[in-house]
Amino acid sequence: MISFLLILISAIFFVGVITKVKAKIAARKMPSVLQPVYDVIRLFKKGAIYSPITSVIFKIAPIIYFSSILLATFFIPIGSQKAILSFEGDFVFFAYLLGVGKFMMIIAAMDTGSGFEGMGANREALYSMLIEPAFFILAGSVALFSNNISFNDLFLHLNLDTNLSYIIGIAAIYVLVYIAMVENSRMPVDDPKTHLELTMVHEVMVLDNSGFDLALIHIATWLKFAIYGSLISNFIIHSVWTWYWQIIAFFVIQLIFSIIVGVLEAFRARNKMEKNPQWIIMLSAISIVVFLTALIITQKIILN
Amino acid sequence: MTYLFIILYATTLIYFALSERVKKFVWLLSIQGFLLFGVVFFSLHTIEIFDFLFILIETILVKSLIVPLFLNKVRKHNHLKREHEPSVPVFYSIIVVVITLILSFIISSHLNSNQIHTKYFTVAFASIMFGIYFIIIHKNIFSHVVGYLIIENGIFLLSLAVGSVMPMMVNLAILLDVLMGVLVLGVFINHIGDTFKSIEIDQLSKLKD
Repeated sequence: MISFLLILISAIFFVGVITKVKAKIAARKMPSVLQPVYDVIRLFKKGAIYSPITSVIFKIAPIIYFSSILLATFFIPIGSQKAILSFEGDFVFFAYLLGVGKFMMIIAAMDTGSGFEGMGANREALYSMLIEPAFFILAGSVALFSNNISFNDLFLHLNLDTNLSYIIGIAAIYVLVYIAMVENSRMPVDDPKTHLELTMVHEVMVLDNSGFDLALIHIATWLKFAIYGSLISNFIIHSVWTWYWQIIAFFVIQLIFSIIVGVLEAFRARNKMEKNPQWIIMLSAISIVVFLTALIITQKIILN
Repeated sequence: MTYLFIILYATTLIYFALSERVKKFVWLLSIQGFLLFGVVFFSLHTIEIFDFLFILIETILVKSLIVPLFLNKVRKHNHLKREHEPSVPVFYSIIVVVITLILSFIISSHLNSNQIHTKYFTVAFASIMFGIYFIIIHKNIFSHVVGYLIIENGIFLLSLAVGSVMPMMVNLAILLDVLMGVLVLGVFINHIGDTFKSIEIDQLSKLKD
């Protein structure tokens, strides 16, 4: 339960910190950390407007998207704090929960019948499809390394203490940071600030959503960032630390992660649209290197 | 510790497949030089101190400083900024690298020989294969030199794999070979660039008396 609450608390501040860092780097006046929260509250007060050609799918999609991600949050442990739900092989379920949400958003975008939204949905589907092997190979190799197949035990028994296992830790963090960026449609693949629909990925997909629905989509984005941040923190936090150190470390890592995202967004240009697939498949390639490393450590590949 | 550098070396091969800028190739070659330095530093303790120092100086000085600096000079002289599109899409190149890496790891795991240090053989084999592939898919001479150097790094690792005591003469010969090869090819590229304003090999094949 504690891990769930911690993720919720960090989710509230996550996007605010990113915006603050970006504003600081661009030498603009910094908005409050809670500005995204104010925006969402304002959106909640508004009613939603639906196009007459949309069906019921468009109305339920944001709610399913939000609830699937909220459910995915239940599976994330932090250090020795257990997750609410856990079973053997739950990381597959976790990935497909995120997939269900994304699928609903994609068909909702198709439902509006707008050319722009279809295009955005198309891109989003392609990128999520390409990023999936990276996540599974990474999770698989970490599972192989720690000999457990549920998030709870997997991170509880993850001992990164030899030279070679540091590679797994570092590469896993690197890949997870970029998976978070791709999943949330952030800088290297998509620019959240862009004003031209033709160059958008995620923003153009949710163009027709308004009011309450848009607020849910925003909160889902925060949650996704916090989920990936907690996955990253699990690679660093040792389960033998005392609970308050674990909590402090968790918040520090979330803060650093959000600052890194902000800095990456401020300094990186967006990839060319046709370069995106190759860039994303590179993450899978790095996960395969992690997998080979795990094979060496577990002596499945014997080298002398 | 050696494994760390070997795995990082494998990662540089992936970045070679990903990058399309000539400047990045030079950077990656320099990084590979440093990684080889690390491999040598942590694995060749048993050989004579003179040989050890020589190989260390060779990797750090020649592989990671002199050759990349020279290549950078050639690159600037010929105004090479961006690699012209390789003939195979980068997407496929990355898949090829990954398959090569997996294959070479599997082969090394099955070799099971006492004579060969298979941990070096893994990336050595992958590096040689990828170097050849790199030369095939690129169209300009500069990238061919880069591919040649990737193969050479692979051969260096292979020489570590086949014997812990590396014969001094072999090493010296490789060093001389590489340095002269790069120098000659660099001068060659410069001359071609000056005369024809381009170093694409497609145009070279059209040359007549």
